[in-house]
Amino acid sequence: MESLLQQLERFSEVLAVSRTAAVSAWGPAAVRRAVQWARYLRRAHGRLRAALEGRRRAGPRLGAWGGRDVVLSARLLGNRALGAAAHRCLLRLLFPGPAAPAPAPAAALQARLARLARRRGAVRLLLRGGPAEDAALRTQAELLLRRLRDGPAGGLLDGLWARAPRAAFLRAAAAALLLDPAGPAPGELLRWLLGRADALAALCRDLPAARLAALAARHPALRRAYLRQLARWGCRLRYDLPSGRWEAAEPAHVSWAELRGRFLSLARAPPPLKDAALAALEAWSARDGAFRVRGLSVWTDLLLALGPGAGTDSLGAASSSGVLGAGGCRLARPGPARSPEHAHFPK
Amino acid sequence: MAQDSVDFSSHYQFWMQKLSVWEHASTLETQQDTCLHLPRFQEFLRQMYEVLKELNSSTIIERFPTIGQLLAKTCWNPFILAFDESQKILIWCLCCLINKEPQNSEESKLNSWTRGLLSQILSAFRFDTKEVDLFIQSLGYTPEDYCPGLLKNMVLSLVSELRENHLNGFNTQRRMVPEKIRFLSRICIPLVTLPDIEPLVEALLTYHGHETQEVLWPEFFDAVNEAFLLKKISLPTSAVVCLWLRHLPSLEKATLHLFEKLISSERNFLRRIEYFLKDSLLPEAACHPAIFRIVDEMFRYVLLETDGAPEVLAAIQVFTQCFVEALEKKNKQLKFTLKTYFPYASPSLVMVLLQHPKEIPQELWLQTLKHISEMLREIVEDQTHRSYGGPFECWFLFIHFGGWADIAAEQLVMSETESSEALLWLLAFSYSPRDGSLQRAQTMVELKAALIHLKKLFRSPTLSAKDLQAVAAESPDRDPRPALCQQLSRRLLLNFLLWAPGGHAIAWEVITLVAPTDEITHEIIGFLDQTLYRWDHLCEEAPRSRKLARELLAELHASSTSQLKMLGTGSARPRCSRGPADSQAQSLNVSSPTVLPQKNQQ
Repeated sequence: MESLLQQLERFSEVLAVSRTAAVSAWGPAAVRRAVQWARYLRRAHGRLRAALEGRRRAGPRLGAWGGRDVVLSARLLGNRALGAAAHRCLLRLLFPGPAAPAPAPAAALQARLARLARRRGAVRLLLRGGPAEDAALRTQAELLLRRLRDGPAGGLLDGLWARAPRAAFLRAAAAALLLDPAGPAPGELLRWLLGRADALAALCRDLPAARLAALAARHPALRRAYLRQLARWGCRLRYDLPSGRWEAAEPAHVSWAELRGRFLSLARAPPPLKDAALAALEAWSARDGAFRVRGLSVWTDLLLALGPGAGTDSLGAASSSGVLGAGGCRLARPGPARSPEHAHFPK
Repeated sequence: MAQDSVDFSSHYQFWMQKLSVWEHASTLETQQDTCLHLPRFQEFLRQMYEVLKELNSSTIIERFPTIGQLLAKTCWNPFILAFDESQKILIWCLCCLINKEPQNSEESKLNSWTRGLLSQILSAFRFDTKEVDLFIQSLGYTPEDYCPGLLKNMVLSLVSELRENHLNGFNTQRRMVPEKIRFLSRICIPLVTLPDIEPLVEALLTYHGHETQEVLWPEFFDAVNEAFLLKKISLPTSAVVCLWLRHLPSLEKATLHLFEKLISSERNFLRRIEYFLKDSLLPEAACHPAIFRIVDEMFRYVLLETDGAPEVLAAIQVFTQCFVEALEKKNKQLKFTLKTYFPYASPSLVMVLLQHPKEIPQELWLQTLKHISEMLREIVEDQTHRSYGGPFECWFLFIHFGGWADIAAEQLVMSETESSEALLWLLAFSYSPRDGSLQRAQTMVELKAALIHLKKLFRSPTLSAKDLQAVAAESPDRDPRPALCQQLSRRLLLNFLLWAPGGHAIAWEVITLVAPTDEITHEIIGFLDQTLYRWDHLCEEAPRSRKLARELLAELHASSTSQLKMLGTGSARPRCSRGPADSQAQSLNVSSPTVLPQKNQQ
């Protein structure tokens, strides 16, 4: 088996090269060897996988080896650098025709390539009905999880954070955490996220509010981190008296509107999350003195902005946290009778 | 050969034109047109490959200068690429175009262009943004890994949208609009045999919207039905039933397909008929009365067209049996009343006939048979009972449960007492429903005489073939008996041989005496097969009789030389010939009558 693993490693090099201009050096014989290797490894992969599963060894990333013959074929076919003779040999190997002779692997690979082409056609047709962002995101999430499951995560996530397009990575990570909240792979992902401040910050910043709310609802640890992040953002806002608005100190900072939007979506979430968010707001507002005056505490203003329902709902619910008790009576329904100071500060 | 190539060039021109039309407009009409032509175009591609593979690249260009265009347009048509094996054949054709030794820059350019097309089929058309591509790559995966997963998830989300539609009812926000559903049914036409698409096909079939008209494309139903009949798609029975309920031509095609299978298999053992029937899912689907009525109608048509062929009778009997089995399995409480399945029959008669002999103790069989006989006789002989149809309708109902007639014959032979008039009438009626009362009475008299003779011999330990010959064969000093009586007598004789203690020894001898022709041998084989089948279903023990029957069957098969055709002619057949009111004189046409002819029963 060790030798087989070595062969897999060596083949991965071949696979990497197949995409580059280096294939111009390959002649028909090299192509033949490469395709034969690929076919052989496909068969061996099946056996190896079965053997490893039996022994529960954390082997190398075997999952990735399933379709390598197809990958190699597609890459070589699309590689302009491959010489003409080599290319003709490749065509003969991959597409022997209807009466595919004795080596059954040849027919099998041909069938697989045809199926790939057919599936591509299918996706194209289905996309005519409209974009399929959900499905695309879900697929990316699945691949991410698969990668985590198949291989030693070690530096994987760090590496991804460094190399991969960050927006896509974060979107896929979020989707992965929603797809499979309880598995070991997403658990690993979550741990990494929580341990990585810049990633977490970017996640909270870039993802839409609704998605973060969904994430926070599923993962309590993430909820806490999210709320902390929101707190940090809120603290950076400064009240501008003349305009009567909360302003961000720098253009890059999160704006009042966005902060409000975040809390709005949290308030729309089902009770555990909603309660936690409102409780946090209450607590911060209380810490700031809980004056029902606009402009003094961003948290108070947020509570007010969330609407009359926000405060009282959480009060109305049976057991609230002890923090609420203190500020409860002060957060009575803000009706038309407001304190006179408000009249001087136009919205 | 010359004719072939002329044909081929005209086809070539035809398809070139078609492809151009399909390319320039992507409207509903062109999509529909494309879907209609997909199978034929694939055939054309196959033919083209056969032509191209014999030639080298330069000759190809010489002979078909526009072939590059044709192949390119094909590559660009996602409907064609998505259909069955078209993409594979297209690739083969493109491979033929590659020049082994390009002499000049023209030929090199062509090679290069062909290479481009080839790689396009397999790897172009980015599904997502470049960003996503890079992400996938950084994970260590490739577009080849991404595509199958993407397809699966797209199907998944469409399926859940369709099902939610179902649940959300009038909540218009989340509803999938009918146009989209229609679009999906169109898109699925080329994809029907792709396993990844099965969940979507199933969801579309079982989708019940709130629109008043059928929202799915009719060609979609055709395509699914075709694929199902050729076993290229596997669907749950509920989806198939939905298909047949929503699209009548599909049901008719499925039934015809079954008939063709029954016709084409040489020796129709009842077991095999049962297998074909269950495999077709028609008996199970027939639990829905609408489907039952259509299938029954088609059986009736075939029965009339073949003038009551025994094989068709057997098929109807087995079909009914499988149908009743399926009905019982479905639910203990009948969702539909019996009248919905047999609207032209007396409900009490149906109830009695539906009983499985297994559920009635053997001692009561005689009684049940008498009851059936009386009821039938009443309807048939009473001219005023028009509401239950004439003799033919009665008979047609009865032969669904034809096992009873076989039991009647057995009982007549085996019972010690005088032959019951009721049973004699039943037997005579089942073989010849249109006889007048005089003729039938005559038949009954003949049968009674034969039975008296047989009963005398039943208990004898040793018998000789001569004793029995008189029963079945022609005898020179009597008028030639009608074929019906001969057939019935043979039936009684065979029962006798199987059950009489002394019958075992002389059975083969007697059979060779009474079966001079292939036709009659065929009839006897049918009888033995039917008897064994019935005994299996009744869990009838009778080891000796079984053994004898099996042995005789084996010997007859071995010695039978002729081809056993389903539509054989001959006198050995129950008379249900069409009366003057019927006007269907065409021969059986097994290629889809989509409108069943009106039947005129007198």
